[in-house]
Amino acid sequence: MAGMSTKRLQKELVKIQGALPPGISLVSAPDLREWQMDISVLDNPLYSPTDKFRLRFMFSASYPIEAPEVVFMMVSSPERKIPIHPHIYSNGIICLDLLDSQGWSPVHNVESVCISLQSMLASNTKDERPPGDAEFVKMNRQRPRDINFLFHDNKV
Amino acid sequence: MAHIADALKDKGNTAFRNGEYLDAEELYTQAIQKYSRNPLIFTNRANARLKLQKWDAAVNDCLKSIDLTASGQNHKAFYFLAQAQLALNHPHEALSSALTAYDQVRSPAPSTRTSPKDLETFSAFVLKCKKAKFAVRDRERLRRQGDLRAELEETLERAKKVELDHVTRSLDAMRLGNVEAKEQSEEIFATYDGKRAELRKVFELADPTHHKPREVPDHLVDMITFEPMHDPVITKMGHSYERATIYEHLKRSPTDPLTRDPLTINDLRPNFGLKAACDEFWEGGASEWILDW
Repeated sequence: MAGMSTKRLQKELVKIQGALPPGISLVSAPDLREWQMDISVLDNPLYSPTDKFRLRFMFSASYPIEAPEVVFMMVSSPERKIPIHPHIYSNGIICLDLLDSQGWSPVHNVESVCISLQSMLASNTKDERPPGDAEFVKMNRQRPRDINFLFHDNKV
Repeated sequence: MAHIADALKDKGNTAFRNGEYLDAEELYTQAIQKYSRNPLIFTNRANARLKLQKWDAAVNDCLKSIDLTASGQNHKAFYFLAQAQLALNHPHEALSSALTAYDQVRSPAPSTRTSPKDLETFSAFVLKCKKAKFAVRDRERLRRQGDLRAELEETLERAKKVELDHVTRSLDAMRLGNVEAKEQSEEIFATYDGKRAELRKVFELADPTHHKPREVPDHLVDMITFEPMHDPVITKMGHSYERATIYEHLKRSPTDPLTRDPLTINDLRPNFGLKAACDEFWEGGASEWILDW
């Protein structure tokens, strides 16, 4: 069996193509393996409301039982940077419990993940990268889902 | 004789795993000639015949296998039977076989071997049969109204069947390999699904009151797969999920998907009221439509 992801993603796509909350848009969904979304932050002086950030979702056949792999992407045209945030490494890897296998729940979906990331950026007060960012970016060869993050800080 | 049959069956299994379905079928047939009281050989041959798209022969094998099983517990045979019946365009019978298979893996008789994926697979297949059955009834309803869409859909169905039969004949005559035959069949299904969807879209635009697809109400939809439920279970927190999908989630994470409270399979209870509502959606909806005219 192809896994349950196909049907579920087809339905999510139909819904997403219909309507999305402000500041969230679908960029491309060429197949049911990888989608790209843009999000913008509307009410935080740290980010310009016209700046958009590109997210890449990668789904396994067991989605939504398994979490999707979600990272921010750098794109040159149109320009998409990696947002500055103490839980987002400069290579786009995100440290968010929701995206970890422990914190993931199958009732989440692409839209709710985008909303969570949007609100994580909206509530940010620190104009900085995670501690040890340069080191992590240089050393890390693991895929995001294989990294064991420690979620020690629930305030940011 | 039984041990010779077992040896042939094992050879057949090897051929099956290698994708040599014709050889597998032949070896199982030889095994049956040596010893014809083993239901497993019949289910295995049925599976090979499903791959070869020999639907009628697969049905016979499944029935024989079920007949030989004294306990009646033979979920594989019922599942294969359902697949063959659906392929033969008998969704009613297919659904009843699929439900038997599903019930048997849900509460297996002692010492039955079931694979952990069975529940999910069978559950999805039950849904597929329900949809097929519903589609047939819907078309029947429209046909009785002398509806043009039903007539066109039936024409498409017939054209599809001609093409599929052609693939099956080529496969029988060995002008086509298994892989090609499977690819061609899948392509035919995809093409005709596309055509039917387009046709429905046109009719929906032209006459929304009669051709608008019915939406499944949210409370009958499983929050994990987004598919309509048929065997809902309820958690301690009062949320309902399709049994097979929540089991799959709990295998990886013993928590309530919404609240993250600890949750195990033993905490789940069947939700009979919601199940009745789901059944009614499939059954009642169609008869209401028929009553309409």
